[in-house]
Amino acid sequence: MIKLNNISKIYEKNVVALDNVSLWFKEGELVVLKGVSGSGKSTILSLIAGLVKPTTGEVLVDEKKISKIPDHFVSQYRQKNIGFIFQKYNLISSLNVSENILLPLVPLNLKRSECKRRLESVLKQFSIEDKRDTLVKNLSGGEQQRTAIARASINSPKIILADEPTANLDEKLSLEFIKILKDLKSQNKTIIVATHDPLFFNLDFVDRTIEVNNGKIIS
Amino acid sequence: MSLLIALLASTLFISNAMKDEYNKIISTYPDIVITNQKALRDSTIDENEVNKLLAIEGVSSAVPRVWGNYYFLNADKKFLILGKDEFETYPNPLLNENLDIKNHSMLISLGVKKILDDNYYHNYFNFIESNGSIKKMQIQSLLNTKESLKNPLVIIMNKDDAQEIFQYSKNEVTDLAVTVVNRSEVAFVATKIRILFPSAKVSIKKDLRVFYENVYNLRSGFFLTVFIITFFTFFIIIYDKVSGLNSEQRYEIGILKALGWRVGDVLSAKLYEGLIVSLFSYILGISMAFIYVYLLNAPYLKDIFLNNYDLIGDFKIVFSVDYNTLSLLFLLSVPIYIAATIIPSWRVATLEADEVMR
Amino acid sequence: MFTNKISKLFFLFTLLSVSLFAYPQISQDVKDKKIYPMGEKIYNAKCKGADLTQFKTYDTLFSSLQKDKPCGDLNRKHTVALSLYLWDVKFKNAKTYKKLTVSKDAKCQVCGMFLHGHPNWVSRINYPKGETYNFDGMKCMFKFYFNNKEGIKDILVQDYYTLQTINARKAYFVVGSDVYGPMGYELVPFKDKKSATIFLLEHNGKKIYSFDEVTEHMVRNLDR
Repeated sequence: MIKLNNISKIYEKNVVALDNVSLWFKEGELVVLKGVSGSGKSTILSLIAGLVKPTTGEVLVDEKKISKIPDHFVSQYRQKNIGFIFQKYNLISSLNVSENILLPLVPLNLKRSECKRRLESVLKQFSIEDKRDTLVKNLSGGEQQRTAIARASINSPKIILADEPTANLDEKLSLEFIKILKDLKSQNKTIIVATHDPLFFNLDFVDRTIEVNNGKIIS
Repeated sequence: MSLLIALLASTLFISNAMKDEYNKIISTYPDIVITNQKALRDSTIDENEVNKLLAIEGVSSAVPRVWGNYYFLNADKKFLILGKDEFETYPNPLLNENLDIKNHSMLISLGVKKILDDNYYHNYFNFIESNGSIKKMQIQSLLNTKESLKNPLVIIMNKDDAQEIFQYSKNEVTDLAVTVVNRSEVAFVATKIRILFPSAKVSIKKDLRVFYENVYNLRSGFFLTVFIITFFTFFIIIYDKVSGLNSEQRYEIGILKALGWRVGDVLSAKLYEGLIVSLFSYILGISMAFIYVYLLNAPYLKDIFLNNYDLIGDFKIVFSVDYNTLSLLFLLSVPIYIAATIIPSWRVATLEADEVMR
Repeated sequence: MFTNKISKLFFLFTLLSVSLFAYPQISQDVKDKKIYPMGEKIYNAKCKGADLTQFKTYDTLFSSLQKDKPCGDLNRKHTVALSLYLWDVKFKNAKTYKKLTVSKDAKCQVCGMFLHGHPNWVSRINYPKGETYNFDGMKCMFKFYFNNKEGIKDILVQDYYTLQTINARKAYFVVGSDVYGPMGYELVPFKDKKSATIFLLEHNGKKIYSFDEVTEHMVRNLDR
């Protein structure tokens, strides 16, 4: 349901991030994008999320050309369908855990009770209930990561994108993350992980591994 | 922000209070005062000249007034003596309130009483006339007045007693006070009077207002300086906001965009933020100004306004709510601040989220 | 010779005493603006309970005030003021009208303008049953009047110089002067011809009209 057709993305100063790449992803798949930093895998995620527009080519999600629609509608698409876990987490440090997690729900104009319900559910799911009022800057790395994941799931997105999620974690926490991934997969979400962490290779619940190098698909 | 608003609001409140004050004072003044002059110095006038004034159409009343200053040597103070005829009607309500003054008696203000008591004059006072003879005046009672006196050392007595103290002859008076009921005719009547009395000084109440405006330093350097400083600081704040957000704020907006916030969502959030901040500082600033000016009577700031003349003396600032000033301050601060908050946010929010987060 | 002197003295005395008591020659302006207000004040302050209605002539009134002092001790000036006031004003019971005051939201019946901005120009028409209409100037009042002549009780306007309320039907109006009302060119009202004439001369008026001489055509012309 996600298609990238002949995508090329060239940034300023002629930095070629992707060169004529075509990919597709099935619903419910868990795909790992393998490659070193700068290989272009992050760009693929950004394209799927609609955060950038391709220089050439088009991105289709459920047959909708999200690469061609105006910013306003891309944002709407994003708030309903995408949960993004950033490499740097990108949490707002002046807010606490609950506030950060609730951020994606604000534009959806849900009832307060519904928001509360969802918040409780993800807090529990990712074991950060007792940290709900703690300011982000007072959290440990693992707690921050779990907050980021909680935030990415609170809007019940169909697609979850994770960019180098374990880059700043030790092995124990990385394994915890993989466990969470497995849980998410069981919810039939389409998950795409961009990483060069070897822990992700040869996982049994990973459907596909795509290798990206210098803006081109290897395998 | 709040301090700025407080400062501005205080100055505006004070100047409003002063405007009210001098309007009140001026309202007790006659529309036109005719003072005879000899060699361009103030002199006295015959009270029967009043009949000439009454013949002018537009003049609704004209009264001769006897008043002047008396220097009390022992206390080194000047008393203001107002003489009145029992049945004349004067423009100044102070004179019309206090009736029934016995002959050779006087009504004195609190300030005068204190000075006389300090000098052992408890029931009477001896005025020394210019030829050296003594005029003994009984103190009948304290002056009965509700308003705060502009000049605290006031004595009211019968007209002939005052004339004797000033060594005026029987028909000699200090000046003539004219009332013109129809305000549009005042200037015209003044012109006619000037023709009738070519050597006299004819003062119109409107001119007094200009004089008092200067006294109250409405256009003075200080007032202007305060204004300028306040506006300048305000503009700096605004400019700083409009010229762009810092990297952290851009980052935050980028995150919001990445989470699916539309431009409109970002702007509404910023709107609430701006509204709350500016409203809060506005209310805080105004409250501070209220407390400072009305409860504390505005120390320091008030003195700067009164510095030139002590005509006014100290005065209590009366509480009054001037909606015009409040609205003006509101419109100057709140919408501008909100705009300054929203505009740069709008600029950032319309960029691609990804660019911002890099 | 002796009797001559005595008779001369006697003659002088009677002359003096007559002039002492005789009705004083004072201009009307001074009387209206100074004497009567003073007399009124004295009367209200000192004549409580005194019965002053039995005097048939000015002289008897005056001498009684001096000798019998029903209103207490008064100097000559005050006595003159009081007696003139009593004789000319109080005993005549001339009709005076109350000041034309309007509330903050009162509007002109004809043009709809708020009246409290121009209090000096307010005019009024009263009906016997209590209906009353206010107007912004003379033009509006006349416009109403020409269309509603029947059954009017009073028409009241304010004299320009004194702002006293006067009967419009006895008033004089000056047209074409340099004094404008709230609706532009106006008829300026006066309580007598004398003040109307002075106004006309000083403010370049064109003509004076009595109430009955004012026509609809005239009023309409002022709207140009």
